[in-house]
Amino acid sequence: MTLKKLFLPLLLLLCQITLAQQDTILHLEEVVISDTQLRDFSNTQSVQKLSDTIIARNPASLTSLLQYNTVIYFKENGLGMVSSPSFRGTTAQQTAVIWNGININSQLNGQTDFNTLNTRDFNSISVRAGGGSVIYGSSAIGGSIHLNNELDFNDKFTNEVRTDYGSYNTLGINYNVKAASKRISADVSLSRNSSDNDYDYEGYKLKNDNGQFYNTSINAAFAVKLNDQNILRLYSYAFDGQRRFSRTLAAPSKSMYEDTNTRNLLEWTGTYNRFISRLKVAYLEENYKYFENFANYNFTYGQVKTFISRYDATYDFTPQIKLNAIVDYTQNKGKGSDIIQKKRDIGSAGLLFKHSVSNRFQYEAGVRKEITDAYQSPVLFSAGANIGIATFYNIKLNASRNFRIPTFNDLYWQGSGNPNLNPESSYQAEVGNVFNYKDITINVTGYYIKLQDMLRWTPGAGGIWRPENVGKVATYGLESVLNWQRKFGSSQVTVSGTYAYTVSREDGSSDQLIYVPLHKATASVAYGYKGFSGYYRHLFTGEVFITSDNQSKLDGYNVSGIGAKYTFPILSGFSFGVQVNNLYNQEYLNVAVRPMPGRNYNMYLNLKF
Amino acid sequence: MKLNKLLLTVLAGSFLFVSCNNDDDNSTSAPSGAYDNGVLVLNQGNFGAGNATVSFISDTLTVENNIFATNNTSSILGDTAQDLGFYKDLAYIVLNYSNKIEIVNRYTFKHVAEITEGLDNPRYIVFENGKAYVTNWGDGGVATDDYVAVVNLSTNQVTASIPVAEGPERIVSENNKLYVTHYGGYSIGNSVTVINTNNDAVVTTIVTGDAPKFITEEDNKIYVLSEGRPSYAGTETFGKLHTIDARTNKITNTIDFPEGAHPSNLTIEDDKMYYTIDNNIYVTSLNAKTLPTQPLFSVDEQGVYGIYAFEVEDNHIYIGDAENYTQNGKVYIYSTSGTLENTFTVGLLPTGFYFNN
Repeated sequence: MTLKKLFLPLLLLLCQITLAQQDTILHLEEVVISDTQLRDFSNTQSVQKLSDTIIARNPASLTSLLQYNTVIYFKENGLGMVSSPSFRGTTAQQTAVIWNGININSQLNGQTDFNTLNTRDFNSISVRAGGGSVIYGSSAIGGSIHLNNELDFNDKFTNEVRTDYGSYNTLGINYNVKAASKRISADVSLSRNSSDNDYDYEGYKLKNDNGQFYNTSINAAFAVKLNDQNILRLYSYAFDGQRRFSRTLAAPSKSMYEDTNTRNLLEWTGTYNRFISRLKVAYLEENYKYFENFANYNFTYGQVKTFISRYDATYDFTPQIKLNAIVDYTQNKGKGSDIIQKKRDIGSAGLLFKHSVSNRFQYEAGVRKEITDAYQSPVLFSAGANIGIATFYNIKLNASRNFRIPTFNDLYWQGSGNPNLNPESSYQAEVGNVFNYKDITINVTGYYIKLQDMLRWTPGAGGIWRPENVGKVATYGLESVLNWQRKFGSSQVTVSGTYAYTVSREDGSSDQLIYVPLHKATASVAYGYKGFSGYYRHLFTGEVFITSDNQSKLDGYNVSGIGAKYTFPILSGFSFGVQVNNLYNQEYLNVAVRPMPGRNYNMYLNLKF
Repeated sequence: MKLNKLLLTVLAGSFLFVSCNNDDDNSTSAPSGAYDNGVLVLNQGNFGAGNATVSFISDTLTVENNIFATNNTSSILGDTAQDLGFYKDLAYIVLNYSNKIEIVNRYTFKHVAEITEGLDNPRYIVFENGKAYVTNWGDGGVATDDYVAVVNLSTNQVTASIPVAEGPERIVSENNKLYVTHYGGYSIGNSVTVINTNNDAVVTTIVTGDAPKFITEEDNKIYVLSEGRPSYAGTETFGKLHTIDARTNKITNTIDFPEGAHPSNLTIEDDKMYYTIDNNIYVTSLNAKTLPTQPLFSVDEQGVYGIYAFEVEDNHIYIGDAENYTQNGKVYIYSTSGTLENTFTVGLLPTGFYFNN
């Protein structure tokens, strides 16, 4: 009701503007994207875009891509198993995954399993560090990962097939077709990945038994230009995967897990000179089944159906001043063997403002408020500035308040869910330094996050575990991203690296939170000469504590990889590549009692036509 | 997602008590190894994390943690230590999630053998008639695959399995008979199965209150403590204390706990019966017809959870505290009048005390 009242006047207001602007000439941007806020309202924070080249050289799981190329740390229960990020020292629920502008974190447990997304299904992947709840809602505290499908209306018809085969009978196939005319554009990607994943536990007489997995996904994006003003778009993503959950050094396993997720988004964009109107309707469905024993058919399950409708309007007062209003209505319907069947409605309204005062100075500000009867929601805000100090040096300042809402499991778990929870909320601030000098870009960002009302499941009276808003955590650190690229004749050299220093502590304690490394670094060197390209890369993860009293820890580790590719000028390009992962056969654990694979190999063929 | 199941499994084994682990011969003797004359503390560890350990607190009040890793080449004992039983010079450690029984010399903690075949979600162990008996849940979600495994102690092999009702938990022996509580696994049980160890066959089933978890024997009597059905699992019921005559296998006495009470940790020492409700410790006589209204004392100065393990021995009350489950636990030793005498830091989730004399 409150929501409707909010929605209606805004809509009316916007309609008037629409009419007023309709007769002016339209200039369409070359590329259409759905997540326009990533482009327009992320200039006071650090955004790292991962290029096609980098996506192509990494295995298909999102974990692997981000682990090796960004500051984000991952806790992976063995290769391909459940994987959860820690971005800027935060929990897995405090990193948002945004698919074409829509938050797709699980409504059940609040996080995304980064091994249930295939990177080859997206043509643009970006990492936006720091608070983003004003735009993206729940979980954008440590940062957000953006999976986008960019479409354009340049005439084309291209096909690409990639097949991978590697150690442990690991097989990957991806087919992508892009077709576009002046009025229609389509980008469809199909992926299939599977692996026996039965690698040896180096140094033990054990193998990674019961670790096999397979998954299939399809991601399709279509755009139709109805006329000069209006574009209709449809994005669909379906993922279906089955994983056995592998054994550990201490225990065998026979469990199995199935994920089936579908995401659909329909968007109508009207561009009327200085005014852009976007109406989005999305339907998401997430399903899981957990089998204690793969051999019998007993399982527990959870399902949430999410319906989102969003109206997003942008008005450019001048080319320098942009205002973006967003109203959003979300309904989640959840059920499962362990949760109470429940429907949840959330409405929100937000306003974003950007002003480029000069080439050297711009600022952004945003505010958002959610209305729901499921919990009390704080007013969220964000404010930032980008200041050019010198031609080669910019400073970015940003402060924001962000949140993570309680999940269906937190609120409605049979017998232990707590319906009186508040969202976790944070105040955070960061200072970013961006150096651009000739071919080199260096980003150094310092940040501080103060998190309150941390949700934690704790044992209470009678041994019943319940979630409570108990914790307060302070996290601060430094992250840096370096890129250097240079051409020498026909040769090209690219050097990139990241380093993160992270301190994350509960209030009143000097102990580091578990599974948050104090240091993490990545580095890579790539070389290209005509049809040949090669790379060497390295990952360092510092030690992590695995008990909250910091009495037990896992050692840090160094893992390197090397790869080469040659492209033959057949059709539009026929490439053959080989890769060696964990080159030095390092024995390491990313999670206690779960060894990671030793040296292993992959080769691939990529054909464009 | 499967948190509930994990928690249930962990919690189902949370209060460990042992009825008959004390040697009959309590006279002091020359130590047979480093871990003679003291108490072994079994630290369950986190489910799935493979960090079960054993600590030793000597009679001279020094603590040594992680004694399995110290004395063996493999540093990993296993995952989710559930129970420990002594037989002759050996200690049998039941590792629930590892599906394994680790056999060590009880005085040196050197590895002797392990049992990995024939176990499926093993819980508790008892020795009778020259054999070991181990309760097994099978798949937690399946009600029909639960059994008691019979172990030949000379070959360390499971030679037979006795099918029983869902969720067989603690097990005691008396006069060539076994008494198995059906706490219920992932459901809530309400019975005790009686097994004859001469032919390893089920003799009878005795209906009890809901969620019977603790069982102990003394002088031909079996005492069973039912926790009652928790509020989250349907209509809540409360604790019951049953006395079973081991000669007739009939319940001779039942005492109902007051509304709201879910008692735990039944143990008998010096003809007194001890149990706990939340953080309160109660004591009563073996043949009581009513329950005390006042606790002996309360351990509220402890950490967040409270009593994770409980035992009474030689006028001392031993309490294991799992704290927040993600850090090393504590052991508190009190006098029987409630004076705190000693505190020790042990491993993760101290779940049971086994006196090694």
